Amino acid sequence: MADTLFIGLSLASILLLVALGLSIIFGSMGVINMAHGELAMIGAYTAVLSGIYLHLNLIAAIPLAFLVTAGVGWLIERLVIRHLYKRIMDTLLATWGIALLLQQAIRLQFGATFFGVNIPGLGTGLQNVSLPAFFQQSWKIGDFVIQPYRSFIILVTIALAVATWALLYKTRWGIQVRAIMRNPEMAAACGIDVRKVSSMTFAYGSGLAGVAGVLLAGFKTVSPEMGATLVVDGFMVVVVGGVGSLVGTAAAAGILGEINGIVSLVSNDILARAVVLALVIGVIMWKPTGLFNFKGR
Amino acid sequence: MKLRLTTRGALEAAAYGTFILVILLLPTVADVFWLNRFAKYLVYGMLGIAVALSWGYAGVLNLGQGLFFGLGAYMVAMTLKLQSETSMQQGADTPIPDFMAWNSQPGALKDLCCIAPGSWLWIPFQSQAFGIAMVLLVPTAVAFLIGWSIFRLRISGVFISIITLALVLLVRLLIVDWQPVTNGFNGLTDLGWLTFGGFEFDPYVVPTYYLVAFGTVAVLLLTRLLVATRAGLVLQATRDDANRARYLGYDVARYQVFFFTVSGLIAGIAGAFYVIASEFASPTFLDLTFSVSMVVWAAVGGRNSLLGACIGAILINTIQATVSESEMLAEAWKAIIGLIFVLVVLFLPRGIAGLARDIAMRLAALLGRGTPAAQPLQKSE
Repeated sequence: MADTLFIGLSLASILLLVALGLSIIFGSMGVINMAHGELAMIGAYTAVLSGIYLHLNLIAAIPLAFLVTAGVGWLIERLVIRHLYKRIMDTLLATWGIALLLQQAIRLQFGATFFGVNIPGLGTGLQNVSLPAFFQQSWKIGDFVIQPYRSFIILVTIALAVATWALLYKTRWGIQVRAIMRNPEMAAACGIDVRKVSSMTFAYGSGLAGVAGVLLAGFKTVSPEMGATLVVDGFMVVVVGGVGSLVGTAAAAGILGEINGIVSLVSNDILARAVVLALVIGVIMWKPTGLFNFKGR
Repeated sequence: MKLRLTTRGALEAAAYGTFILVILLLPTVADVFWLNRFAKYLVYGMLGIAVALSWGYAGVLNLGQGLFFGLGAYMVAMTLKLQSETSMQQGADTPIPDFMAWNSQPGALKDLCCIAPGSWLWIPFQSQAFGIAMVLLVPTAVAFLIGWSIFRLRISGVFISIITLALVLLVRLLIVDWQPVTNGFNGLTDLGWLTFGGFEFDPYVVPTYYLVAFGTVAVLLLTRLLVATRAGLVLQATRDDANRARYLGYDVARYQVFFFTVSGLIAGIAGAFYVIASEFASPTFLDLTFSVSMVVWAAVGGRNSLLGACIGAILINTIQATVSESEMLAEAWKAIIGLIFVLVVLFLPRGIAGLARDIAMRLAALLGRGTPAAQPLQKSE
């Protein structure tokens, strides 16, 4: 049981990283980023490629993946999202198109296979990132087995969650983001460059997704479609936790991750997902603003 | 309703007329193989109509339209499965789904009552009339219940999209998990043919194409008439400003529930037609990608136009099928459709229909008849 809870917690951690990014982006810009899972996928591929070409190990790939996905996110915001601020529902559709594009671009290796060029490490093949030897052993304390990699995931997530909190509540940028969350027009009237802050916000949220991707790459097959389910799960967490609430997002990720883990233990994976979905629907029906929302509109 | 033939109305009537004529005359040029394919595209066209109705007219972005499609598909597939003679040939006294026979305990009574837990649910589907009634009833009832819960609670915007998305995934999981009754991942295959008054609707004959074609035309015209009624106008008013419509004294939720239900029913009928044309039903009908694809079709065709969304769906699928002939292009196509979608959302929010309408109005104005093109364009949400 303790093992299950532990694994549940590590899964919840990755979910939290995905959801944090989504939540900040949705909270401050109202944008539903359907390409968020694909950003995580790009993070995972960054880990694979940097391992092959730069001989970086997984830990070193984390900051690199953060920068790469943040860059991609920044581009997406500049090229597409920026033009849709007046049509929020349309961002959902546009980012879905971007998601398809990114997924297919990786599968087609940026179109290189079209011209007969093959890039090792990209494409449909089943990639797996090898973990540093340090992570492959397991420690025992009494009866309790600690898998170092799972602990590492949890630690990275805690670190990033704390960093995000500090960014949002202790820096100038954070104050501006929170002002935009409350009221973009008023924030602009007070002299905040909403566009600039928004593209930074989008880039930061995307970067978090990239880190989640790297962590996933450590124990899951890396494939072009690995991000597709991630965005749905991430959104469930955001909605249950309450948009724009850091604590809520963290709690919701924990709750949904653990419920998933426990139900799959007593019955099966399929029913576990079904239970989570049913729960999410129930929460939206009962409290559309989320379980932990501080914001009254 | 007074009939005033404006330039715009005349153009619209011409577009509808041309479309219907093309569909009905297609069998004179295409062989049965292509007709069967095209019947499926018409089904996708119906889905486009369903999406345009709920998204364009009601302002409700339903990301779970596949739920109703899937329900309709499964209802008709269950009754057609019992028309299949496979199980009788394998020694059963009454038709039972082959997968139940394969999975049953040795020595179990080979009858629908008790061959598998829950298999009794199949018993009424021995009657084809019951199956067809269920096609109409089940999606309608489910859509009504969902719509009623959502709109009575005044849930709006993104939250509706997330609820419908979660629902379609939930039902998909239940179907997959309920293996003994639904055959899980594999879905229902080896179906018999729909028989009506002694005529068997083999998917590869012309009358089957006409069955689907007439169905599509009927759905298209009825929906077009429906949105022009008073209720349809109230619905559009609600889309533009729900509170204003409420202050004007309309029970907004009632209109929303009604049209949400109609949209679900259309998707359910589409599912049934799809099964008749393609001879299988599977949980992939409830995949998220499929539901979002429908939205893509409607967006490209024109979300505010029933005909546009319908044509958009048919067009995209026809191109896709042509392109899929070569494997390399098929993969590239998915990237292209992603790109097209982004571009359409950015630069052509009213889709092909909006573009066609603008061009036609310009032309009409140039030709010097009717009102000039300078008129308020439909608001895109």
